[in-house]
Amino acid sequence: MDILVLIKQVPDPEALVEIGSEGKDLNIEPKFAINLFDEYAIEEALKIREAHGGKVKAITLGSAKAIEALRTAIAMGADEAMLIEDEGFAAGDGYNTALVLSRALEKEMFDIVLCGRQAIDADRGEVPQMIAQFLGLPHVGVVVKLDIADGKTVAESAFEGAKEVIEVALPAVFTAQKGLNEPRVPLITGVMKAMKVQIPKLTVEDLGLTRDMAGPGGSKTKILQYLPPKKRPAVQFIEGEPAHAAAEAVRILTEVERVI
Amino acid sequence: MDKVLVFVEIKGDGPRKVSLELLCEAARFAQNGRFSVEAVCIGRLPDAARDKLLSYTEKLVHFTDPELAVYSPEGYARALAGYAREGGAKMVIAGATGIGRDFLPRVAVLLETGIASDVTGANWLNEPMTFVRPMFGGKVFAEVVFSTSPVILTVRPNSFAMGEAQEKGGEYIEKTAGISPDTIHTKVVRVEEASRDTVDLTEADLIVAGGRGLKAAENFNLIEELAGAIGATVGATRSVVDAKWREQADQIGKSGKTVSPKLYIGAGISGAIHHIMGMDTSKVVLAINRDPNAIIFNYANYGIVGDLFEVLPAMTQELKKRKEG
Repeated sequence: MDILVLIKQVPDPEALVEIGSEGKDLNIEPKFAINLFDEYAIEEALKIREAHGGKVKAITLGSAKAIEALRTAIAMGADEAMLIEDEGFAAGDGYNTALVLSRALEKEMFDIVLCGRQAIDADRGEVPQMIAQFLGLPHVGVVVKLDIADGKTVAESAFEGAKEVIEVALPAVFTAQKGLNEPRVPLITGVMKAMKVQIPKLTVEDLGLTRDMAGPGGSKTKILQYLPPKKRPAVQFIEGEPAHAAAEAVRILTEVERVI
Repeated sequence: MDKVLVFVEIKGDGPRKVSLELLCEAARFAQNGRFSVEAVCIGRLPDAARDKLLSYTEKLVHFTDPELAVYSPEGYARALAGYAREGGAKMVIAGATGIGRDFLPRVAVLLETGIASDVTGANWLNEPMTFVRPMFGGKVFAEVVFSTSPVILTVRPNSFAMGEAQEKGGEYIEKTAGISPDTIHTKVVRVEEASRDTVDLTEADLIVAGGRGLKAAENFNLIEELAGAIGATVGATRSVVDAKWREQADQIGKSGKTVSPKLYIGAGISGAIHHIMGMDTSKVVLAINRDPNAIIFNYANYGIVGDLFEVLPAMTQELKKRKEG
């Protein structure tokens, strides 16, 4: 089984995110991590390789700094990695990201593509499905279990409350959800290997695309401005003994807020 | 007139609430006569669901191909994109449900256009239209504009208000999309519906959630009793799910579900940022915690500083008393 894992370097979940001048940009604390859901994707790829042989290759689209995320994937056990270096496309919309990655995938041999179900920065959850459509492949989303046996691939998808068990023909794209596995912590030998490994870089021109496709003129959607979340008024404490406070809370919710 | 398609989703015998919310919102912004709205249903459509939908829309198009009887991203995307292309639709809208977020990105690629996912607000009458969607788990919102047509959106449940059903029923049209079986490469072997009769967290109007402060799995009965008294859905924090007190399906927050209810009651929840990200678009928030400095109070409209083991049963009792009175 040859497995491609598409990963993204994102700001650390705890990083401060502030809106910059007049809402035109974001000031993000420079702490980075592999996207949470991508770690499940890497782990699953390694488990499939351990059971069935083959190789695991991690690919990312990002700035030069995103090579750190690829090194982490190598440290966890991925065999190879590749960086598509382009800040313009990396900051673009879901369509352009999927376009670049699908062009890169056309040059690869693979049975399985694994991705996280959503990146925790842009929160779009669009790119894996779009890649599948660009390549004319099936996908199974929000996967919590993946079984490959006797030439059959069966994935369990956790949509909201229901679980669907889905048989799919390979090659196919899967998006990893929490619960799929427990991502391993890299061993020190893996970290040493990752520090030394040469990671090839591609440009979008190598993929037959041009940089102007990523700018405001090229993308299908663009962000006009960033807005702060609606601010809640300061909390109003309901005082008194528990029984009294409870009764007062019920009165407020029914008579003032009228939500129950 | 610009054609707007609203993909409607069926759950059990009826349409999902978010589908009706979107039909109501579309009817509101179509009042100026610039837009014509059609509901599009793919696959299974029970009579009761059809009748209900027809009281919320002037036109319901139903794709009945046997290949589309069961959801598949490939099949649904082809059917919806094909119909949007054929009718020159300017906008395609779906709920940001599991299915909506799963296949609408494929529709965007088929139509060579962009998509805005998990939209929570819209300026329909702006020129060009703009849409607001959360990023970074709701730490910031982005106002998005399209440079291509059609506009494709998935909209978070509870973002737009429900309207009234109309007495005059709409027109019902059956169609086939001509999907051949060999274009679908997935096969649903089995579906395990959640064994619960309450509304899913993502669509719930009322939620009662519990955290570590409950101290043990069995104490969640206090949460369940309060939820039962108001018809709410039960939610949980990540630490409670990790401790196996509750199922993964109950988890609210960054690695769980994003909820947007009218009322969110949180008991014994400290307010870790991962949890706040999943509930901060709730309209009214009541937090109950023994610690007056608990972070969740920064994200609450109302707070009770006290022991949840006393406050929760007292609230349940007060609600029962009111019901009987």
